[in-house]
Amino acid sequence: MDKRAEESPEGVSRRHFLKGAGAAAAVVTVAKIPSVVDAGHEVSDDPVILGPGSIPITLKVNGVSREIEAPPSTTLLDMLREYHRLTGTKRVCDRGSCGACTVLLDGRIVDSCSMLAIDAVGREITTVEGIGTPQNLTDLQQAFVEKDALQCGFCTPGMVVSCTALLNQNPTPDRDQIRQGIAGNICRCGTYQNIIEAVEHASRKGGK
Amino acid sequence: MRQFKVALPNSIEQASALQKSVDVPFIAGGTDLLARIKEYIDTPDLVVDLKRIEGLGEITSTGQGIRIGALVTMDDVATNRLVAEGFPALVETIGNAATPQIRNMATIGGNICQKPRCWYLRHEGYSCAKNGGSGCWAREGENEFHAIFGNQVCAVTHPSNMAPVLVAYGASIEIQSSESKSSDGTLEKRQVEAEQFFLTPEQDPTREVALKPGEIVTAVLLPAKNRTDQWSYAEAREKQSFDWAQASVTVLYQRGGRSGDHRVILGAVSPAPLRRADLEEIIGSRALDADCIQALQEKIGEGAHPLSQNGYKVPMLRGLMAKAIRNLNGEKKEG
Ligand SMILES: Cc1cc2nc3c(=O)[nH]c(=O)nc-3n(C[C@H](O)[C@H](O)[C@H](O)COP(=O)(O)OP(=O)(O)OC[C@H]3O[C@@H](n4cnc5c(N)ncnc54)[C@H](O)[C@@H]3O)c2cc1C
Ligand code: SF4
Ligand code: FES
Ligand code: FES
Repeated sequence: MDKRAEESPEGVSRRHFLKGAGAAAAVVTVAKIPSVVDAGHEVSDDPVILGPGSIPITLKVNGVSREIEAPPSTTLLDMLREYHRLTGTKRVCDRGSCGACTVLLDGRIVDSCSMLAIDAVGREITTVEGIGTPQNLTDLQQAFVEKDALQCGFCTPGMVVSCTALLNQNPTPDRDQIRQGIAGNICRCGTYQNIIEAVEHASRKGGK
Repeated sequence: MRQFKVALPNSIEQASALQKSVDVPFIAGGTDLLARIKEYIDTPDLVVDLKRIEGLGEITSTGQGIRIGALVTMDDVATNRLVAEGFPALVETIGNAATPQIRNMATIGGNICQKPRCWYLRHEGYSCAKNGGSGCWAREGENEFHAIFGNQVCAVTHPSNMAPVLVAYGASIEIQSSESKSSDGTLEKRQVEAEQFFLTPEQDPTREVALKPGEIVTAVLLPAKNRTDQWSYAEAREKQSFDWAQASVTVLYQRGGRSGDHRVILGAVSPAPLRRADLEEIIGSRALDADCIQALQEKIGEGAHPLSQNGYKVPMLRGLMAKAIRNLNGEKKEG
């Protein structure tokens, strides 16, 4: 949420440096292969077989379409974190068992670790980076701050995505509905009660 | 994760032809298969993605009932009006399963074809009857969540929440393969009753479902003739979310309004959903009162062979059985 902590005085964060170094290496090693992912929709006699090496994959993330080369076996989570360098979406269990990697796919919550990135082609992906900014928090994010709805913060991006989806579907959820809405997100620090209060608070403000 | 090739067939025929052996898995939602690949339990070089095949993603009314395409997600099944009106026990069981995220991803085809959760099977180092070796680690080892019925050869429980309910409704599984074509060149549709679709280890310890290589589940068919307003589904699980059931009881009373047609199916206590004709006979032969519940409770553990750590499942079933009958009588429906 707050970028300052990881940014050096020069404005180059450790994370950005690592990201930059990784990208440079990728450009050298990845060969250019024609985009075939969308061709799967055309009827032909021979099925398209991709990989195992990198292929161009176009994903629309937070409203912006980008083509990036990655192996077709890449999960959506790894695609977002390692290739799109959107590290807000967290990797914890990598098995569909915690919800830290939750993103919206056409408005519905999914565990990005448990699906292939190529199965998200042509769909709207929203990560936590697409929900408010540090300067312009959504009502829900502001409520997380005010209600102290996090301790270590590692579950927070997934929680924010799930709660955003909940409020989109149901702007005035009761406590049970909120519990249902976050039933796929684990918080090891046990901040559930404060998260529920934050959602109620955001709901009362009529925001998202 | 290990890298693999991904095929994007756009027809059932193409997809089927690509699966020459079980080493070439299909991927639908991916929630089970990708976890298996990450654990090195499956090490495919090629995965066949079913997601681009048209016509597998709809729920339609067929006249005889409803047809749920194999790629329809669990959540889309649970929120469908046709399903809710005709087959409410299916909605109930899905609501208890997994997490909201998984239910948005997992498909009905993948749900009934998912691999069991035995921790020995899910650990790359173990060889046993199920993965082509011999013997069963769980029988003498850690077996808290394993089967109490039919567990001699392999003690897995069937992990699917939908499976016992589909058996109760007399659903059919529609299967197609590039190997079986009719004279005009279109693929034939094989239908297998859910009760026969789920295999016991005695039938084949290495397979949980009656699919041969190249065979794809294309739909689940629910027959309107087995609808009933008198239904209940009761289950127990250790955690309310993120978990699999420890035991479940599905009861359909007077299916299609027929006075002698009932189903009692036990889930998560045996390698395949367990139909209990003896319990069906009890509910068919008397008033559904406290005496009936007692008779059912006395009978339900018959045939069980609990292992060292899972004996609790017998009293658990007794409790669920009582709850299921009470709910049938029109009391508050509880999970
Ligand atoms: C934390 C967690 C909790 C869970 N709890 C529950 C629970 O309580 N109850 C429950 O029922 N499930 C539960 N699950 C399991 C989940 O429901 C399954 O993983 C899911 O239903 C599988 O569907 P999928 O489309 O993702 O399958 P995939 O992972 O894509 O495929 C699963 C298997 O089925 C095969 N397959 C898929 N589609 C077809 C087809 N059309 N024809 C032939 N073969 C096919 C694949 O080859 C693969 O072997 C849980 C999962 C997680 C991660
Ligand atoms: S229960 Fe089945 S899968 Fe598990 S160890 Fe025994 S034989 Fe293997
Ligand atoms: S990292 Fe995806 S659910 Fe845990
Ligand atoms: S705040 Fe630490 S995991 Fe939720």
